[in-house]
Amino acid sequence: MTFPESNERRKKLGQAVMFGVSRVISYGIVALLFLILFFIVKQGIGVVNWEFLTAMPTDGMTKGGIYPAIMGTLYLVAGSMLFAFPVGVMAGIYVNEFAKAGPMKRFVKMMTNNLAGVPSIIFGLFGMALFVNQMGFGASILAGSLTLGLLALPIVIRTTEEALKSVDDTFRQASYALGGSKLYTIRKVVLPIALPNILTGLILAVGRVSGETAPILFTVAAYFLPKLPGSIMDQCMALPYHLYVISTSGTQIEASRPMAYGTAFVLVVIVLIVNLLATLLRNYFGNKVKMN
Amino acid sequence: MTHLDSELKMLKADIIEMWRLVINQLDKAKDALTNFDRDLAEEVVENEKRVNSYELKIDRDCENIFALFQPVATDLRLVLATMKICNNLERIGDIAASVADFVLDADTDFNKSILEHTKILEMYAIANEMIADTLEAFDKEDTRLARTMFKRDKILDKIDEAALDRVMECIQNYPEQVRNSLLVMSMIRKLERVGDQSKNIAEEIIFYFEAKVLKHKKKKQKEGDE
Amino acid sequence: MANKLETIDVHLHYGDFHALKGITMAIPENSVTALIGPSGCGKSTYLRLFNRMNDLIPFTRITGQVLLDGEDIYQIKSSKIDALRRNVGMVFQKPNPFPKSIFENVAYGLRVNGITDNSFIENQVEKTLHQAALWDEVKDKLKKSAFELSGGQQQRLCIARALAIEPSIILMDEPASALDPLSTGKIEDLIFELKSKYTIIIVTHNMQQAGRVSDHTGFFYLGELIEFDKTKKIFTNPAKQETENYITGRFG
Repeated sequence: MTFPESNERRKKLGQAVMFGVSRVISYGIVALLFLILFFIVKQGIGVVNWEFLTAMPTDGMTKGGIYPAIMGTLYLVAGSMLFAFPVGVMAGIYVNEFAKAGPMKRFVKMMTNNLAGVPSIIFGLFGMALFVNQMGFGASILAGSLTLGLLALPIVIRTTEEALKSVDDTFRQASYALGGSKLYTIRKVVLPIALPNILTGLILAVGRVSGETAPILFTVAAYFLPKLPGSIMDQCMALPYHLYVISTSGTQIEASRPMAYGTAFVLVVIVLIVNLLATLLRNYFGNKVKMN
Repeated sequence: MTHLDSELKMLKADIIEMWRLVINQLDKAKDALTNFDRDLAEEVVENEKRVNSYELKIDRDCENIFALFQPVATDLRLVLATMKICNNLERIGDIAASVADFVLDADTDFNKSILEHTKILEMYAIANEMIADTLEAFDKEDTRLARTMFKRDKILDKIDEAALDRVMECIQNYPEQVRNSLLVMSMIRKLERVGDQSKNIAEEIIFYFEAKVLKHKKKKQKEGDE
Repeated sequence: MANKLETIDVHLHYGDFHALKGITMAIPENSVTALIGPSGCGKSTYLRLFNRMNDLIPFTRITGQVLLDGEDIYQIKSSKIDALRRNVGMVFQKPNPFPKSIFENVAYGLRVNGITDNSFIENQVEKTLHQAALWDEVKDKLKKSAFELSGGQQQRLCIARALAIEPSIILMDEPASALDPLSTGKIEDLIFELKSKYTIIIVTHNMQQAGRVSDHTGFFYLGELIEFDKTKKIFTNPAKQETENYITGRFG
């Protein structure tokens, strides 16, 4: 059989066009990301020095540093994860390992997905209503962490669930076949194998939480508080909120412009560092349970 | 040891047992001839069944090994060689039984002089040695010993060729032993076949250990191999 | 030889799917029984009857009798299922060592069942690794992760893991299908060694493997047991045309 030459040419041309378009788009996205980073670095790096990182803000937030905001963000990220990680992982374990297939399980999964789509300002209002007012925590690190934790919860639940689902069923069966109970099997076999992927969920959650402004708006964030919090019942500053105020509602917006870029730069760097750390952590555990 | 190895070991043990049984049959048939021992001859005829059942068993074992293990290379050659050796041994067993049958056909002792003159005892000795040596060659992987079969078979052929004249001389000299002389003639014809069977077995041994196919080559080439 | 396992008219349904259609079969003690047949013929499902692994799949219904040493294992109390599973070891298609050290993998079954005597555990692990023909290869790295072993070694480790709690039956679900020929050979030799002490049932897609390792072979097709006989008989002169077609590769 002979095939028409023209068909071959048409195939090649079609391919070239299609691949060319996708290539341009994907390079474009990367370029955009670098553009943003470049902009922030260019504007912000000049401001950042040791004093900027370690000093309290002064002169109506036009001078001094952002130390309390950095620490506040770290507190909030740590606090929210302390809440969201165990709760989310346990919920994920329940959904994937224990819940019987049926309408109830489907409903729970659907609601978890919906929760992930709720705008963050709603979480903020909810947190204020429940933690700040109803439970009487006041505007505090505790209330803020719990609110951020709620926001992170669906991410942790879903990634945990996916991580557990990807553990080959024969691992469970092998453990049952040796007389292992369900709980023992999950603890000793399933979780260690799923851990790297669960940690991926943690990374995503940390990234999400550390950049959020709306949920902390009413629950913890202090407008200007040039000292470190003394307890979890205190208010604190936080980088995203600090950035928001000095760029929108400060006393001298123009004068604090460099401070704003510096803050943005620090926030980006912190998010990157946390991501990097979590990735290293995941790779460490990932190597331990590497499949062949 | 792998499963196949243990199966092959059992197969080898079986064929060697059969070999010994056949050698024994041949020996007893000879004793029955020289001593004119009818009971012993009966025993040899009776024992032929055992040889046959060995053949059946080894054939079936080879078949199973082919079906279950798909042997290759040296394993394959061993099973193939064993099947053919088994076949040849069964025929030698038949020959022993035939000799015993001829002894039973005789109505008087065989005259010693007839046995001497026709050289049947000499032939018998060579045939026995040959078959015993094929076993040794197989057992000790001695292909040189196996190769001696081709020359030794020729001695048997010569005795066989001369047998007709010698038997006629016997008939003239010992008219009372006409029947026995003819029986000896038949035995010689049978014993000549032992040489051919041993030669076939030797070829299989060489094939197994050296993977050389000797069959249907010209005689000169065979000798050149030595 | 006594029958270690026996099924009498066993039917199994997954929801609407009739996976096993009245299987009656007796498996002799201390021998290897191979189950062959095309994918989806029910052979793996049948294998999983014996340690009640099918129970874990929702909407499964089983009727008929499954006897182990004469006792119907589907009539026992649910509290005895763990004891049943201890008696029935299982090895899977893909090597699946736990994310633990080599030593702890073998010790897992002992620990899970409440054994805490460390010297006993050490002895048992060593004994079992010897049994699985793995000791010489791993004795210097017992504390290393099981994932550092090659695929074939991992599978022998999984066999050792199953042997450690001294079951009397071992179920193997295509134990060598993910391995290279050399490792496969080692697993087959191991199976041959083990059958003097254990009753082994092996599901395999590899007919030659069934021939090499098993004493009896059952041919499954569309949820039915077409033929069950001595392996020699099945491979040299099967009684049923379907069996003949399958083992000669002239299927369908």
